[in-house]
Amino acid sequence: MKKPSQPFADLSRTGLPDLRWRPGRVLAGFFIALCIALLIGALLAALTFAGRSFATTGSTVADIGHLVRMSAIQAGTSTLLSLIVGVVLAWSLDRLRFFGRGLIVGLLSSALVLPSLVVVSGLIAIWGRVGWANLVLAPFGISTGASIYGFWGIVAAHVLLNGAFAARVLLDRLEAIPPEKLKLGRSLGLSTVQRFKIIDLPAILSSIPGIGATIFLLCFTSFAIVLVLGGGPANQTLEVAIYEAVRLDFDLGAAVRLALVQLVVCAAIIIPASTLTPAANLFGRRSELHWPEGMLVSAVQTVLLIGLLACFCAPLLAVLLRGSGTAMASLFGQASFWQAAGTSLWIGLASAAVSLGLAIGLGMARSLQRRNSPARMILGVPVFTYLAVPAVVLSLGFFLLARFVGVGPAQAAPLVLVIANALLSLPFVFATLSPPLEALAARHTKLIRSLGLSGLAQWRWVEWPLLGRPMGYAFAVAFVFSLGDLGVISLFGTSDFSTLPWLMYRAFGAYRTNDAEAIAAVMLIVAVVAFVVIPRIFEFLTHARD
Amino acid sequence: MNRFFTASLCAVALGAVAVQAQAQENPTLTIYTYDAFAASWGPGPALKEGFEAQCDCEVNFVATDSSIGALRRAQLEGDDTSADIILGLDTATVGEAMATGLFVEHGLEFEGLDLPLDWTDAVFAPVDYGYFAFVYNSEIVDNPPASFEELAAMPDDFKIVIQDPRASTPGLGLVLWIKAAYGDGAIDIWRGIAPNVLTVTNGWSESYDLFLSGEADMVLSYTTSPAYHLIAEDDDRFAAARFDEGHYTQIEVAGILSASENQDLARDFLAYLVSPQAQAVIPETNWMYPVVEPEGGLHEGFAQMIDPDPALLLDSDAVTQNTRAWIEEAFSALR
Repeated sequence: MKKPSQPFADLSRTGLPDLRWRPGRVLAGFFIALCIALLIGALLAALTFAGRSFATTGSTVADIGHLVRMSAIQAGTSTLLSLIVGVVLAWSLDRLRFFGRGLIVGLLSSALVLPSLVVVSGLIAIWGRVGWANLVLAPFGISTGASIYGFWGIVAAHVLLNGAFAARVLLDRLEAIPPEKLKLGRSLGLSTVQRFKIIDLPAILSSIPGIGATIFLLCFTSFAIVLVLGGGPANQTLEVAIYEAVRLDFDLGAAVRLALVQLVVCAAIIIPASTLTPAANLFGRRSELHWPEGMLVSAVQTVLLIGLLACFCAPLLAVLLRGSGTAMASLFGQASFWQAAGTSLWIGLASAAVSLGLAIGLGMARSLQRRNSPARMILGVPVFTYLAVPAVVLSLGFFLLARFVGVGPAQAAPLVLVIANALLSLPFVFATLSPPLEALAARHTKLIRSLGLSGLAQWRWVEWPLLGRPMGYAFAVAFVFSLGDLGVISLFGTSDFSTLPWLMYRAFGAYRTNDAEAIAAVMLIVAVVAFVVIPRIFEFLTHARD
Repeated sequence: MNRFFTASLCAVALGAVAVQAQAQENPTLTIYTYDAFAASWGPGPALKEGFEAQCDCEVNFVATDSSIGALRRAQLEGDDTSADIILGLDTATVGEAMATGLFVEHGLEFEGLDLPLDWTDAVFAPVDYGYFAFVYNSEIVDNPPASFEELAAMPDDFKIVIQDPRASTPGLGLVLWIKAAYGDGAIDIWRGIAPNVLTVTNGWSESYDLFLSGEADMVLSYTTSPAYHLIAEDDDRFAAARFDEGHYTQIEVAGILSASENQDLARDFLAYLVSPQAQAVIPETNWMYPVVEPEGGLHEGFAQMIDPDPALLLDSDAVTQNTRAWIEEAFSALR
């Protein structure tokens, strides 16, 4: 009998999928990977092909090396700080119990929902010239001035968005530590440091590459934040340069070449992240066991938590306060709002379902492959690739593809939006679901084989109940991410088809700032509710079938 | 589970392929434009209603994120495009539009227009116009600068927000404005105002939002922006700073596509668009000046707007040839 943690240790390193156990699952995973690769290939090919037929009047993209360097430095700094903040937040939240903790946890990832423009405006409401921070500091004669603009402004906005996401995923991993492990640790009298090293670190380590890669890609390809907070052409990312080049010059060939440069650079992050994932062995139900730290450490944690949460929540609170009141009431009277809300809702649900399906398909197949094998890489890379393709290339590519298959833009828009949003949120969903899937395969394969369970029975009796929590969170992330994404439909636009973020941008563009702020607040509320309610629903569904 | 999803994905994709664009029986005039023009609060709906009452046709506004986006979409669609008219390009981008070779001459004569120049363009018809200006809040800024030189001399904590000239028509307008006023000295003006530039946003909306939330003292916008606050919000705090060099003119235009099967109808629409009846819609929906004075004149709020004299405008060929060099010049100062 093989050891469960290495079920297929004797397979050669050919990169061919191992089909000896659950071949259907493995093939489904590879099929999904192939589809994603084909889609991205087709998008780029469509653009290359179309690009040949248009003369360009010039090109404004200069000094690509500099752009890549700047983007990489910015994204690296943002990722590192986001991860540090995420670990500290998750570690403190795991140990502390207080009133409103559930709401705080729900709020943590809701920054993800907001179009970056809203995050930026929240950040500015706090740290800007007339922000809350300066109102407090003014009596002391200090001012933050314009420090929120420029390199550190960009990094701050990125950490606000992604640090909270990291914290939420890591907290989930910490809470999934089996109670036996905690009991043992407590009876051994582990110190704070020992406990972190021996119990916490192994639990969160398997999530770090996935989260890190996702955050890096998001920051590397960051767009709106860079444009608003960047302070000008000095702080550009490659993504911005590509957008501007396409916009003004319409040099599609150059856009594809730059997109390939971006893909190659991102591959340096994607490939190691999808190959060298540490083992996820710890897996359990939400632990009822609470083992707090000692007085001193708890006090430190409380201070850290309050400080970080203040930084996280204040901008969101500012968005909420600005948007509520009469503006929201008048918004509720508009038919276009309800129409857009309905569209956003079903697109969010549909793309969340697709994203969850894709992530589970890829993750299951991947957990059946040998550690560090090329097959694992093949199944991991597609998860992130979509995120590395510039949005403007995706937008144009989808438009051309839709034309190629003969679908009118208005008919194609919803489908494209669902696919695009599902693929965009895939890294988040995968980062959440992959570690538990790995842990399940490592821990339960032996048992499942000896019981002779069918694939369906394995899902029904083992995976479904055990994956309830992470699935709930992953679904919420994907839903909320789709809700806030402006998407790739700017070219597809019709007056009949509108989503909430799209409506918000329209309002911003027509002096209707009050409407825009109210929509932002509504999206924030929906996000928080989704993060609190959806995981509960999944937990209920899965527990009810115990 | 995943097999189910894969199967449903395929089903959805196939289903979508089966849905084909419906054939139209009545002639439909399709107009690609930027979003704010087609929006329910924009001029689109009233113009649609007005023209449909006289044309025995259907007017369909299709909104893209920007006028350049509308142009690019028509370019991608080529001969198959469903667009008859592209509306919303401006005097700075018509050169790019002409280079695509997508447009035909409108064959209309426009006389007695209220434009600051004689309109002789054989391809594009004027829709509305305005002047770029820096807008400020008079309760916060007491003495706004009255020229670019005064702006450059302002202390560094006097902040302005501007837009990216590659993505935004006001952003490009500023580059042309400074060029028109200072020629070879433009680079010195850019260097002078660089410390005052808080940030360069992608679009007008982001800039205006920063300005309204108090982050900047002035925002690059239009001389008519205060009219919106005055008329629609009854708020008279906002004003445009009058610059001695004059203000750069933006004329928004519409053109007929050569691929259009409804060119006569399109021509009728352009003629309607320049009529006093249609122009009456423009000022309080698009917050620009009409190209002919509507009956009953403009809302009195517009009379309080600054006089842009002298109105500046560069030759459109020169603009097309030099746009990239001028943008690079501005950026070299901002970097």
